[in-house]
Amino acid sequence: MIIAGILGDLQVLLTDTGMWVNLLEFGILLYLAALGEVIAEKAGVLNLGVEGMMAVGAMTGYWAGIQTGSPWAAAVIAALAVAIFAMVHGVVSVVMGADQVVSGLALTILGLGLAAFLGTDLVSQPAGAKFANLSLGQLSEIPGVGPTLFSMDGMGWVALALGLITWFVLNRTRAGLNLRAVGESAATADAAGTPVVATRLVAVGIGGAFAGLAGAYLTLKVTPSWNESIVGGLGWIAVALVIFGAWRPGRVLIGALLFGGLIAVGPRFQTRRCNGDEITNCITTEINPIVVSMLPYALTIVVLVLLSIRSRNRPSLAPAAIGQAYRREER
Amino acid sequence: MFGFRLAKRDQALPGGQVLAFGIGLIVALAFGAVLLVVAGHSPVEIYLKMADAAFGSPQAWSTTLTQAVPLGLAGLAVAVAGSMGLWNIGAEGQIIAGAIAGSWVARLGPDLPGPMLITLMLIGAAIGGGILALGPAIARAHLGVNEIITTLMLNEIALRTVRYLVNGPWKDPTSIGFPVAPELPEQAALPTLFERADISVLIAAAVLIVFGFYAARSKWGFELRIAGSSEKAAEYVGISLKRKILTVLVLSGAIAGLVGGLRLGATDRIVEGVAEGWGFAGIIVAALALMRPSGVAAVAIAFGALRVGGVAIKGQGVPASIAEIIQALVLLGALGAAVFTTYRIVGPKSYSGGDATSRDTSEVTS
Repeated sequence: MIIAGILGDLQVLLTDTGMWVNLLEFGILLYLAALGEVIAEKAGVLNLGVEGMMAVGAMTGYWAGIQTGSPWAAAVIAALAVAIFAMVHGVVSVVMGADQVVSGLALTILGLGLAAFLGTDLVSQPAGAKFANLSLGQLSEIPGVGPTLFSMDGMGWVALALGLITWFVLNRTRAGLNLRAVGESAATADAAGTPVVATRLVAVGIGGAFAGLAGAYLTLKVTPSWNESIVGGLGWIAVALVIFGAWRPGRVLIGALLFGGLIAVGPRFQTRRCNGDEITNCITTEINPIVVSMLPYALTIVVLVLLSIRSRNRPSLAPAAIGQAYRREER
Repeated sequence: MFGFRLAKRDQALPGGQVLAFGIGLIVALAFGAVLLVVAGHSPVEIYLKMADAAFGSPQAWSTTLTQAVPLGLAGLAVAVAGSMGLWNIGAEGQIIAGAIAGSWVARLGPDLPGPMLITLMLIGAAIGGGILALGPAIARAHLGVNEIITTLMLNEIALRTVRYLVNGPWKDPTSIGFPVAPELPEQAALPTLFERADISVLIAAAVLIVFGFYAARSKWGFELRIAGSSEKAAEYVGISLKRKILTVLVLSGAIAGLVGGLRLGATDRIVEGVAEGWGFAGIIVAALALMRPSGVAAVAIAFGALRVGGVAIKGQGVPASIAEIIQALVLLGALGAAVFTTYRIVGPKSYSGGDATSRDTSEVTS
């Protein structure tokens, strides 16, 4: 009886197009932010400022959307703004060599404060631009994937492309090798002639730009509106995803879709959700959405513990030099 | 690029951290002034108003100290772990856990006499915070799991737990629609000390002083510092690192939990925003104080004043978030400036003297 109920619910859930659309939206958003953090961490810079960077990106993107009327222009402006904003962390932790944990958290607090301060007047304003769904002609009419994957907006394809580019650059190019070398052993990379500080600054900047895109996507597509608490922990999920995905762009994508799915599924257990008007096509189990919203964080802790147990006998998956400032005269 | 570079000082600059804090403050106030001008306000006028609201009268002092209490205790919580080289990023969540445990105690014994109820609530709060820190502590001590991420994740879980409670099981049936718990019993309110300050100021001061002395004078504190400076040295002299990590992280969580208990007195009931950023602010306080209890108290009062000032200028149409911005900038400025306590800038020509120190002078920035 119970099993039948759960199976029935699962069927309702999996055939709910709205759920899949939400899953993709949150997945894209988380993927962009987490991908940026992968790049920064691969270069040896832990940036706990993602939550704040996304807030700045969300506010800037929303503002730029109103000013320009174009979601793409707004997203680019947000990406540039956050890349510059991330340089605060870059200068303090990479150039000056301050503790990355403290500097990153300060960036989050600064970002949340700045976004709230500068975005005060935006709260009551409607969105000036939104990302529209992209129809792929015949593909968009395929049942199942048509109205979901093949109808997602352009940012979804951009995110996938950025993931592919990131994987390629990190693993198949000289620049990526240098970046990873800086993150594994800064002193060795330095001795080999790689500019450590410059490489890390670029990585932090790209990480910021990606977080900016994620923020802009939040206010120009997912919500679409602005208020100061709109990021609401999504940035921390992005930080978690990097660990969850073991610093690999591909695995992080799987994690982003999984966590995006948890966010999308949450509210659907709250009330009796029905597909169409058929009474038989309803979700019967009630789970509090707040409880579901804890799962990404709880899962990350579980994965972290499992990774630690795994790395007892094997080398750790994390970049070895992560969190360490590099000063040549102290090597 | 211009030939300037950083060279290591032979000795750390005396009083360097105070200097760094001063530089950070100047950077922050200058940037804040730019923001205020952009928003169409006179920075001098706003800053004077903030200072007056924070220090201008006994009442102002009482509100500043009231704000300094959670900052100081949260700062101490982070500093306790930090003095051993551990990062408790979870103070925010532990404050919430403390508040949950404290109000749970109050729900169990609503008819207890005031002093007893308050004592039990505060003990409960400390235990609550300690319990939330226990998981990361065990994981770190026995499995080597990075405590930064686990405590960070538990923040979000604690936040959602209190959200669940005030929206569900603990929701006040008389509050139509508002997700708040019922008010705590009247006798649970902390007695007034002076003006608007309650005895939480004394409690925080006592905890800071006791811990400051204990950490400085006791064998425990000594071992803590050894473990913080070198794990190998600690193991060599027979200090059990595992036990140290466990006790330190749980103690850190308990101190943060106490903040949650004390905040219940200020808010009359548990609400979703009971921690309102105190835990994260505590990290700033501890970092600026270089993990020292005496420094924590000083920075907490300075930041308490900043928050009071931030709230006071709300009426002028300036968003209170200016206080958070300035706090973060003080830290970032001080972090950046702190490099000069151990390094000095060397000009393009001055290294060519051929003296012994120039050998380890090498380029950091260009």
